[in-house]
Amino acid sequence: MYVMNLSEVTERISRKLESSGAQPDRQKIESRLRRLVEEFGVNIAEAERTVTGDLAREHNLPNLVTSSSDLRPINEIVPGEWVTIEGKIVSLTPSFSPSIAQNGIIADSSGAMRFVTWTRANVPAMGYGHWYRIESAVVDEYRGTPNLKIHSGTTISQMEEGIPFIPSITPIMELKPGVGSVRAKVIQDWDVLHERMLQTGLLGDESGTIKFVIWKEEGKEKLEPDGVYNIYYASVDEYNGRLSLALNTAMYIADEGDIEVGRNATEIQGALVHVAPGSGLIKRCPVEGCNRSLSRQNYCPVHEIQPNFRYDLRLKAVLDDGERARNVLMQRDLVESLVGISLEEAISIAESNPLGMDEIFYRVRNSVLGRYYTCSGGEFAGRMLVDSCTPVTFKPQELATLLNRAGGEAA
Amino acid sequence: MTPQAAFEREPARRVFASEFRETRYQFKEGDDEKSPNYVIFPTGIRSNRIFVVGTLTEKQRQGEQNIFYRGRVIDPTGTFFIMAGSYQPEAMQQIARIETPAFVAVVGKPNLFMTQDGNCLVSVNAESISVVDRETRDLWVLDTARETLDRLDVFGTTEDSRKAQEEYGTQPDLYRKIVYDALTQIQM
Repeated sequence: MYVMNLSEVTERISRKLESSGAQPDRQKIESRLRRLVEEFGVNIAEAERTVTGDLAREHNLPNLVTSSSDLRPINEIVPGEWVTIEGKIVSLTPSFSPSIAQNGIIADSSGAMRFVTWTRANVPAMGYGHWYRIESAVVDEYRGTPNLKIHSGTTISQMEEGIPFIPSITPIMELKPGVGSVRAKVIQDWDVLHERMLQTGLLGDESGTIKFVIWKEEGKEKLEPDGVYNIYYASVDEYNGRLSLALNTAMYIADEGDIEVGRNATEIQGALVHVAPGSGLIKRCPVEGCNRSLSRQNYCPVHEIQPNFRYDLRLKAVLDDGERARNVLMQRDLVESLVGISLEEAISIAESNPLGMDEIFYRVRNSVLGRYYTCSGGEFAGRMLVDSCTPVTFKPQELATLLNRAGGEAA
Repeated sequence: MTPQAAFEREPARRVFASEFRETRYQFKEGDDEKSPNYVIFPTGIRSNRIFVVGTLTEKQRQGEQNIFYRGRVIDPTGTFFIMAGSYQPEAMQQIARIETPAFVAVVGKPNLFMTQDGNCLVSVNAESISVVDRETRDLWVLDTARETLDRLDVFGTTEDSRKAQEEYGTQPDLYRKIVYDALTQIQM
């Protein structure tokens, strides 16, 4: 009994050290464990902790020293740690790889984290809604978020039902990559451009808005437009600095009431003082998910020559209020309404005009340059992504106010 | 007004022609060759770019090898002298197509030139010139009036306005009067 246990523990310690690049001597580990357990009457868990700590110091691996069997709240765990946690399986998602036995989300009252169980770990499958104690799992980083890896050195034991808890709701503006729960309203339902996608759109709460996606999967249902939902354990993904919510890991329940959606948009009014190259009619890479704009030779920086490009209209410009000059980016629908030209018209003009696409650049430039606009949208990477843009109109009361200001003290 | 961070584009200041015409003081921020050149306007703001909307009343093509255009843009207070040469190809191509008179929006750099007899010629090196409408002109007058009054409200409290006081001996009331007169020229 002893012997078996000690070799198991030896294996676990060795793997920990090996995963950090050390090459431990298994015999030495086992003899140290045996000495502590047999000669000094130390229990095995304590012996494991002591030997791991000693070896970590010897191999100069400070991270392993904290790899105790102390129970840790999920929200305090950072990548690079070995941990023991107790939590409830709140989501299980289908595995796309034979080397992954299970993946999903485990949660405790402090927070939630995605996990992966390697097929090689050879551990019993965990059941949805049950509680488990997971010892000696390793946390690494996957796509910028902490991810719990269950490997062959990990011990899993099913527990009695833990303390019931309600997932804590995070305001949308405070979400971080990983797992998050929100109470939000469906404010936009967008066209689905991908055959695997069930629904995509925009969710909003009092703090702001975020894009969401539901991928097609058995049992997944669409959100009702304008519906308010409690969404527990959605995956918060980051792409190009922008966050989005994938609801396939999530449980979502329609809720009563309404939400006054906060506009995290800023609004600026100013003169459009510059129209940048790359405005007007452009060609975009047709590769799924790429959408980069192509050079004149139909060259995509990633996917090379793409003769089957698609056309788009956009405006890259500078809006200047006299105090600050800000880069703004407008998409097709705004350009169409500001310039009074549809994408189809722009394409046919470009294809029949000797100046080609330049003709559209000049038309766009000539209709917006030097004029006053009010733009609102989200600021992102030093550029405003404009949601709405309206020409400023002359208001006589502003003239009256300024006349008073100018004339009040003079004369 | 602190200088903007290096990567941020300089804002285009709003200034009436009669104030712009009085500009004499310029300085360079930093010792680097590429450091921006600023002027300080009499109402006390540094600027290396301005935005003007007015009526282009006259344009002239000049030069043989080095072609450039001169233009006059009128606002309610006076005249801006606009230059567009081969260093500003966009502006030059634009002005070449415009038929006078026309409401135009001009973005450009203030330029001071000292003549041999000690006069200072103030002009705008245009970066772009585009045709706009009367409403845009009126909006610009309101905008420029507001910006000018904002500067006068803090006159004497900012670094740039103290410099302006020292260089020009600015009388704020005079500029309030100019703003008032400019506003009264807008047709209700």
